[in-house]
Amino acid sequence: MPNDSNSNKIISFDGVSKVYEPGGEPALRGVSFSVTAGEFVCIIGPSGGGKSTLLKIIAGLESASSGSVFKPDNVSMVFQAGALFPWLNVFENVALGLRLKRFPETKIRAQSLAYIEMMKLGGMEEKYPRELSGGQSQRVGIARALTVDPAVLLLDEPFSALDPQTTEELHEDVIKVWRETKKTIVMVSHLIEEAVSLADRIFLIRNYALENIFPVTLPRPRRENEEKFAHEVLLIRKKFFKK
Amino acid sequence: MESRRRSRRLSRKFGLSYPVSFGERVYSFLAPILAVAVILIALKYVSGLPVVSASGASPYLIGRAIAATLGRLLVGYALAFVVSIPLAVWVNDNPLIERLLLPLFDVIQSVPVLAFFPIIIIFFIGFGFLNGAAVFIIFLSMLWNIVFNLVGGLREIPDDLKSAAKIFGLKGFAFVRRLLLPAAVPYLVTGSILAWAQGWNIIIVAEVLHTYIPHGTTSQDLFGVGSLLVRATSSGQNGLFILTIFSLVGFIAFFNLFVWQKLLRYAERFKFE
Repeated sequence: MPNDSNSNKIISFDGVSKVYEPGGEPALRGVSFSVTAGEFVCIIGPSGGGKSTLLKIIAGLESASSGSVFKPDNVSMVFQAGALFPWLNVFENVALGLRLKRFPETKIRAQSLAYIEMMKLGGMEEKYPRELSGGQSQRVGIARALTVDPAVLLLDEPFSALDPQTTEELHEDVIKVWRETKKTIVMVSHLIEEAVSLADRIFLIRNYALENIFPVTLPRPRRENEEKFAHEVLLIRKKFFKK
Repeated sequence: MESRRRSRRLSRKFGLSYPVSFGERVYSFLAPILAVAVILIALKYVSGLPVVSASGASPYLIGRAIAATLGRLLVGYALAFVVSIPLAVWVNDNPLIERLLLPLFDVIQSVPVLAFFPIIIIFFIGFGFLNGAAVFIIFLSMLWNIVFNLVGGLREIPDDLKSAAKIFGLKGFAFVRRLLLPAAVPYLVTGSILAWAQGWNIIIVAEVLHTYIPHGTTSQDLFGVGSLLVRATSSGQNGLFILTIFSLVGFIAFFNLFVWQKLLRYAERFKFE
C-alpha cells in the first residue's frame, strides 16, 4: 500500500489557506498533507467544513489564498449529480474531454469506447442522460473523467444520491478501475463506512482544518459485516463525533 | 436501420454533438442562407407597395399583406436574436456588468416602445428608408423578451456542469458554443415566442407611419397586414377587415403549431433535470 513517506508524491499541500472574500471567514486553514501516486484517499467531515474547497483547489477550480500547492495539471473530476451535458449522448459525453484536446477521431473512439465498456455501459452509447438511471449517469461521469487519462481522479460525493445496492456495485467498480488503471483517487464522502470500505487513508476535515489522518490497513475486498471493519469504523466515528 | 447507421457515421465523421441525418445536415447548412434570401426578397417586394392595392376583400391581397408583415418581423427578430445572445452572455459572464446593466435594461424595457417611434421615424425618413423604422421598432419590442429569458436561462446552468466544462478545458468561445448556447436553447425558444407575440402586437402601429409623421399622408404607410387592418377600418370595409383578422389569426395559429410547438419539443433535450 502506498504511504506518505514515499517520495513519489503527486499532490502536496503545505500550509494552504483559502479565503473567498478579503477579511472574510476562511474556507480552509493551514492545511498540509501529501498524497502518493496510486493512493486512494477519502476526505470526510461535517458539511461546510472545507471538504469541497479542498477538492476544488486540487481540481484547479479555486486557487489557494496562501500556502503552497503542488498538483498535476491533468486532474479530472466526477460530480455529485453527474454533471452530464443533457444534449450529448453517452458516447459524446465520454468523448468530450478528448475531443476538446483535439485528439484524432480514431483515438477518441477507441479510448471512449474502452472506458464505456469498463464502466459496463456497452450498448448505451446513444442514450441521452435523461434516459439513464442515477447509477448509470455516475458511470458515465466516471468514464468521462477517466477518458482523458488523468493523473488524479477526484470524486465529489459521487454516490450520495444513489440507492444502497447501486452504491455497493459502484464501490466494487471504482476499486476495480483503481486497480486496473493505478490512478490516484481523492474522494469526498460523508459516510465513514464508505471511506473505510474504499480508502488507503482517510482525512478528517473539520472547521476548515485537517484534523486527523487515519490509515486504513484492512485487506481488500473489505466487508462491512467483518469485525475488523466495524472496529475501524468505530475508531474513526469516535474522533468524528468528539466535542 | 440503415439511415440510423448512416446518421451515426456522419456524426462520427463530422464530430457532431449528437447523431443527425444527412437531410438535417443539408437543412442546417441551407436554412440560414434561405432565411436571409427570403427576408431580402420579402423586403424588396414589399417596399413601395401601396397600402391597399384593391378595393375589395381579395385573399391574394391579404396573403401578400401577411407575407410583407412577416418579412419585417423576420428581419426585426433576426436582429434581436443576433444582438441578444452576446448581450446575455456578457451579462452572465461578469457580475459587475450584470449589476450595472440589468437594472438599466429593466428601465429601458419598461418604457413603452412606441414612445421612441416618432424619433425613429424621423431618423429613418432622413435615409428614405421607412421600412427601417418599422423593422427597428419591431427589433426593440422583441429584444428584451429574448434578453431577459436568456439571462434567466444562463443562470439555471448547474455550477457542477460549469466546473466540469472548465476541468475538461472549455473556455472562451468554446465555453459559449458548447455549454452556454446549448443550455440557452429552451430559454431562447420561450423568449422568441414572447418576442413574436410582442412583434405581432406592435405591427398594427408600426406599419401605419403617417400618424407619427408631421403632415403625414397614407402614402407613407407600409404595405402589410397592420396597415391593411387600419385602412379597412377607417374606410368602412368591414368584409376586408373581418377576412384579414381571420387570416391573421389562422396564420399565427399555423406558425405556432408548425414552428414554436416543434421548437419547444426540440428544446426539451437541452433542459437540465
